[in-house]
Amino acid sequence: MEVNLKTRLGPVELRHPVINASGTFDALSADLVLEADLFDRFPFSAYIPKTVTLRPREGNKPPRLYETAAGLLNSIGLANGGIDAFIKDDLPRLARLPVPVIVSVAGESTDDYGDCAGLLEAHPEVAAIELNVSCPNIELGGRSLGLDPKRTHRAVSLARSATSKFLIVKLTPNVTDIVEIAAAAADAGADCISLINTVHGMVLDHWSLKPVLGHITGGLSGPAIKPVAIRAVFLVSQALDGLPVIGMGGITTGQNALEFLAAGAAAVAVGTANFRNPLAAADIVSELGGLMQERGIGSVEELTGLAQK
Amino acid sequence: MDAGLIPASLCECPVVENRQVGAYRQVSFVAPEIAALAQPGQFMMVRLAGESLDPLLPRPMGVHDVDSDLVKMLVDPVGKGTVALAGAAVGDRLSVLGPLGNGFDLEGGGPAVLVAGGMGAAPLTMLAGALLTRGREVSCLLGFRTRSQTLAAELFQEADIEVLTEDGSAGRQGLACDPLPGLLDGQPGRTKPEIFACGPAAMLAEVARIARQQGVRAQVSVAAHMACGIGSCQGCVVKGSASYLKVCTEGPVFDAKDLEWK
Ligand SMILES: Cc1cc2nc3c(=O)[nH]c(=O)nc-3n(C[C@H](O)[C@H](O)[C@H](O)COP(=O)(O)OP(=O)(O)OC[C@H]3O[C@@H](n4cnc5c(N)ncnc54)[C@H](O)[C@@H]3O)c2cc1C
Ligand SMILES: Cc1cc2nc3c(=O)[nH]c(=O)nc-3n(C[C@H](O)[C@H](O)[C@H](O)COP(=O)(O)O)c2cc1C
Repeated sequence: MEVNLKTRLGPVELRHPVINASGTFDALSADLVLEADLFDRFPFSAYIPKTVTLRPREGNKPPRLYETAAGLLNSIGLANGGIDAFIKDDLPRLARLPVPVIVSVAGESTDDYGDCAGLLEAHPEVAAIELNVSCPNIELGGRSLGLDPKRTHRAVSLARSATSKFLIVKLTPNVTDIVEIAAAAADAGADCISLINTVHGMVLDHWSLKPVLGHITGGLSGPAIKPVAIRAVFLVSQALDGLPVIGMGGITTGQNALEFLAAGAAAVAVGTANFRNPLAAADIVSELGGLMQERGIGSVEELTGLAQK
Repeated sequence: MDAGLIPASLCECPVVENRQVGAYRQVSFVAPEIAALAQPGQFMMVRLAGESLDPLLPRPMGVHDVDSDLVKMLVDPVGKGTVALAGAAVGDRLSVLGPLGNGFDLEGGGPAVLVAGGMGAAPLTMLAGALLTRGREVSCLLGFRTRSQTLAAELFQEADIEVLTEDGSAGRQGLACDPLPGLLDGQPGRTKPEIFACGPAAMLAEVARIARQQGVRAQVSVAAHMACGIGSCQGCVVKGSASYLKVCTEGPVFDAKDLEWK
């Protein structure tokens, strides 16, 4: 049986369903460090660089990382050079990638979402925009606006009126009712929902009993959060029938990807697993193809949402 | 530093030896690509190959030594990642990405003073060899907490070595930096030495202070928690004089004057 791994996010066609999670794979840096020809054998079917903000951000005080049981706690703090530098320096180089580029933006204020989307609108190299509504927001005293359905609605509306590009909204799982936030995003014009960003967490040094991270708290990623992510994908894709979902949170194997797609995702993203192996996605794609073949699932479309039927 | 980027490869490497060296484990594995390319001060991201999710991520390990196809690392088991690596048995396979980062710049002239604190001695043995090959005079100050943690001086070949321990149980009592100002004073007419250092943050800060005071160059190898090792995650940053710098791709060896010292 011929397995068809192609999938699509609206107008964005993907040659297989595995993309990268924002902030976990720097194609430009990896291209310099890893053996040549990374761009030719690029493991992801679309590329999302790290989230950019209107103004540059230095990021949080180190230490910014600590490994937990089957997980990783981070407090990078959206360190980035700002959207102008991104458009000028990075975007032309990323345009050489053999896959569509999805640009992730976050606002330090609600208005920033509209401004960022507007700045990207003129660039044909940008296939889609992902709004990361989990950024610590200045107006909210460092809380992210993705915690509140009304503010999420407002940010997405501003971006929607600034761009005609395919608009993805990436949600935080640190909320009481994720379906309510996803519905607000959809109502404001989101074309797709990305789930999940990291789960709030904290670790203490085993000896000093003081917080390990310079920022005190951080976000948990990796296999430890997979059940949290599967639930979010299942509930949101069921509630917002017809709106594609990108699922992520702890995917390290083809079997994991299979489960996210079955839960309702149209595509999946690999994050922390890239740190285990920068080419992990290539193995995940081939394992996924093998598993679909074994089970007689002919296409991603057929697989998506099997858990709901 | 800026030795020019060498492409890193990801390999599954069989372990061929694991032996006790002082308080540490010296683990040797077959990695011809890395052995051929590694420069003193570069590092690798290493984990036990396989599906186990705990430990989840590889750990940064300095290239301790290279012997034809073999690469050796010296592991100090301080937590779950290093305990797993220290326990690698002959025949186990390691997943290794490397060589990574910028090693020491060997192009300077004149005598070299190597300063190591504890495990910081691991990457300096290869450096001592490389400097000696270039005809540079090498003296080493090796500081350890106590006798049981000292690293065998023979690792440093024919370099001139002084061992110090905090409790005086081996060598002179004191810290690695204590004899440094004396060594730098030098004689009139001689080129001032260059410092190469690796060790705990407090020791590196002291090295940077002495170097600044005496007007000599110091290259320091900095440690930080790392996830990816290839510049993707921005997790391993240290404060530079202007902005945060990534230890993995902009270091781990820095010119001390480019970092902010408290
Ligand atoms: C470029 C580089 C080269 C290195 N070379 C070597 C080497 O050759 N041999 C070796 O044994 N170790 C080396 N290290 C340090 C080693 O990577 C860490 O000790 C290891 O990552 C700790 O992981 P763990 O799971 O064992 O301990 P964890 O459970 O993560 O930590 C145990 C304890 O060590 C501290 N710690 C953790 N990571 C670091 C770190 N990177 N620096 C300082 N303290 C830390 C923690 O705060 C904690 O107190 C190097 C680090 C870097 C950045
Ligand atoms: C080090 C690190 C940095 C991240 N940076 C971003 C970011 O800039 N923007 C974003 O939307 N998500 C960011 N994330 C979250 C991931 O994109 C992803 O949503 C999350 O890690 C769950 O997937 P995983 O378990 O596969 O890593 C980051 C995660 C990690 C671990």
